[in-house]
Amino acid sequence: MKRLPRQVLASAAALLLVAVIALVWWLVYLSHPRAATLDQRVAEVASQLRCPVCQGESVQDSPSELAQQMRAVIRQQLQEGRSEQQVIQYFVDRYGETILWNPPRQGFSLLVWLIPPLTLLGGAMLIGFVLHEWRQRRPAQPDPARTEIGPAPVDLVPDEELERYRAELEAELAADDPLFEPLSRPRGSR
Amino acid sequence: MYVSDVGASAILLALLFAIYTAVAAVLGTWRRNEALVVSARRATLAVAAFLVLASAALAASFLLHDFGVSYVAQHSSLSMPWYYVTAAFYGGQEGSLLYWALTLALFSALFVLTSRRAPRALVPYVLATLMVIETFFLLMLATVSSPFVRLAHPPADGVGLNPLLMDPGMLLHPPLLLMGYMSFSLPFAFAVAAMITGRLDSEWLRALRRWMLAAWTIQSAGLLMGAWWAYHVLGWGGYWGWDPVENAALLPWLTATAFLHSTMVQERRGMLKVWNLALVIASFALSIFGTFEVRSGIISSVHSFAYSAIGSYFLAFLALVIVFSLSLFLFRLPRLRAEQEFDSVVSREGIFLVNNLLLVGIAFATLWGTLFPLISAAVRHEEMSVGAPFYNQVTGPLFLLLLLAMGIGPLLAWRRTSLQALRRNVGPPALLAALCAAVLPLLGVPSLWANVAFSVCSFTGCAILYELWRGVRVRHRHGEPYLRALLMLFARYRRRYGGYLVHLGLLILAIGVVGSHFFQQQRDATLKPGQQVSIAGYQLLYLGNIENFYPEKDVVMAQFQIWQHGQLLRYIYPGRQIYHNFSDQPASMISITTYGLTDLYVFLEDWQGAAQATVHIYVNPLTVLVWLGGLVMILGGVVCWWPESPARSRFSRLAPPLATVKGKGVELPGRSFTQMAPTRPALEASSDKERQAVASVQPERVATPLLPDSSDPASEREKEASQ
Repeated sequence: MKRLPRQVLASAAALLLVAVIALVWWLVYLSHPRAATLDQRVAEVASQLRCPVCQGESVQDSPSELAQQMRAVIRQQLQEGRSEQQVIQYFVDRYGETILWNPPRQGFSLLVWLIPPLTLLGGAMLIGFVLHEWRQRRPAQPDPARTEIGPAPVDLVPDEELERYRAELEAELAADDPLFEPLSRPRGSR
Repeated sequence: MYVSDVGASAILLALLFAIYTAVAAVLGTWRRNEALVVSARRATLAVAAFLVLASAALAASFLLHDFGVSYVAQHSSLSMPWYYVTAAFYGGQEGSLLYWALTLALFSALFVLTSRRAPRALVPYVLATLMVIETFFLLMLATVSSPFVRLAHPPADGVGLNPLLMDPGMLLHPPLLLMGYMSFSLPFAFAVAAMITGRLDSEWLRALRRWMLAAWTIQSAGLLMGAWWAYHVLGWGGYWGWDPVENAALLPWLTATAFLHSTMVQERRGMLKVWNLALVIASFALSIFGTFEVRSGIISSVHSFAYSAIGSYFLAFLALVIVFSLSLFLFRLPRLRAEQEFDSVVSREGIFLVNNLLLVGIAFATLWGTLFPLISAAVRHEEMSVGAPFYNQVTGPLFLLLLLAMGIGPLLAWRRTSLQALRRNVGPPALLAALCAAVLPLLGVPSLWANVAFSVCSFTGCAILYELWRGVRVRHRHGEPYLRALLMLFARYRRRYGGYLVHLGLLILAIGVVGSHFFQQQRDATLKPGQQVSIAGYQLLYLGNIENFYPEKDVVMAQFQIWQHGQLLRYIYPGRQIYHNFSDQPASMISITTYGLTDLYVFLEDWQGAAQATVHIYVNPLTVLVWLGGLVMILGGVVCWWPESPARSRFSRLAPPLATVKGKGVELPGRSFTQMAPTRPALEASSDKERQAVASVQPERVATPLLPDSSDPASEREKEASQ
């Protein structure tokens, strides 16, 4: 009977911990508005642009002449105080949207962004539906979810839990290996 | 008579034998003519023998520098060292197809030699399927893509190999990856055979699983080597660029991973048969798609070194494979409906479903991104580009969830887990993760996503180690010292603990990926001698360029000193090699120096005479862990796959027939036994029953050897050995 308050206390402490962590993260994340060097900003912009004359390389990764020039342009424009977005737009205006590694999230290429999450969602729903059907095939048995949620047995002492787990693991291991010799009897627990 | 003529004849003979095998195997089964089936087995060996001969002929042509052979002239030259000359075997399309056919024939021969006790009814169909695939490749090799075509006027020297391919990584990466693609044929052949015969029993599943595991391990090794090659050769400071060809290699790996997990659900619970078959078929179709994509050049990629019209043949073959297997699949669908019975989402099978959803979701997103340029070109006449930023944003979170599921999975029991047990098991890892999350920002990890990722990694790592520790503890209580207990776990329960090893490897790899993705630092600099750049606490002092001239190439190296805290650490020489044959493609000699877990990666971009160099410098933290984790994963795969010693037989982990253990099964809310009848009356998860359960462990174990599946350990062992 001692266990219950300790558990409640533990979960409360865990919740508090999570809250503190979230707070710390948030503060740290906000207080570091990405103090990027010019090189890093150039790299970031350049890695989002496709090198127009290469086989599947970005402006950042390509060793070609054109990519070098484009990197120089990016650097110059960033130095002049333009934002990353403006520089990218500058290249989109000249080369078209196909230069973007990140397809724009509008129009036709919105599809490339939308389809994968939608498929995943559809898959999850399908699984949920199928599982629902499978579970309904065995109506005679009690709903396991309900038994789980029901009041947790409180008379378990930690020792017994440990012992039970040991027995479970032994059984699983023994199922895999007939030569496994289990302890003849759980020690001391009963 | 040239050596190459021997090769060309050997390919024709192999083709004839392959066709014969396919026909004889099927006819022999239909007419119940055992002799015909036996002859088909032998013919498979003949195919392998002739392909070995053909490959030897090609290798000999290369080593003899027989430039009368067009393929040899195009892919090698006199000045190349012998090992690159040999590696040029698979440096082009014809050779890599021959290599594909060779490995398939060798694996088929291996199957024949080890299949004496494999499920009888399946063998002819497996052989026939393998040989039909082989026939396609041999037809290509004999007609449109022959490596033995001779030139009327042999040149004095060959063109040589593309300098990007002249790298030690090249000696291992393509053969492993091609073999990986090929090895998905065997599970596919098993699937086809099972669909034709309608035998989808446990024996079949076990054989299939082992071949799939082999394929998975080989493909993992190929992917790892590919990443390593890219890191050392391409010079952009990374190892994975979501390039279409890389994606294509990842796709069958993802579906195979999904299969290896969901197959456990089928083994234990008899569920998901349809789904598993679909995954096997998808893996093979994706591996053919990968070969097609690399060869057709339909999507532009850094990795394609051979373009040709052969792509259309592959597309036709791919279509044939999909149509054939789909129709067979739909035809068999009514018989695949097993007794599906599901207790709770909070269970091992539940987490496997999540795992499958995530893996297939990642595979689909990757395939979709890879194909989208083609789709947009067809619909909008504008080829959109889909690159690394897209994949990182779409698949990154999914991979993170997958890692989390990897940590939770082993903590859940089959059938159902009470929330209480879950809380007890998840407690320690969650605590560590929370701690990690709290401490890491203070240690200077400012990125939110990196923090989340590291916390998830610590959760999963703790869960896996906790699980290992508990296994060790159980054995230790039986009187084994800890170290021996650990080793015995791996020796005895290869699948289970090999799997944990793979998980651990993936985790290490993930930490490496997160580290190198979020914490990479980069500087570009153009330097004169005496100038220096600082990056991440290191100072690189440029001294000048050194040029060397060889008969076949010029080599230029920039000399740098690395300093840290006022101390000279070492000299490095990033450079470029200009092969005279490919003077427009200077190959890079990237300098990678590892300090602790941090790589200092210096790439010479450009140079002027002896006194100016333009370099890209990257500091890649934790990249070492990518290679380390990859090696651990492969090791884990081998451990899982390694045949158990014949002294021990494996007892069935398979869902046993209902009648045998009905009523004997026990259930625990925290964990459950593996030998449970699918429709055993459920017990209520009350503490009383739990205690009963502990008490009834003993009878359960006694009952184990009496199961019909394991009634004869000797025959079981032989079956096992035959796989």
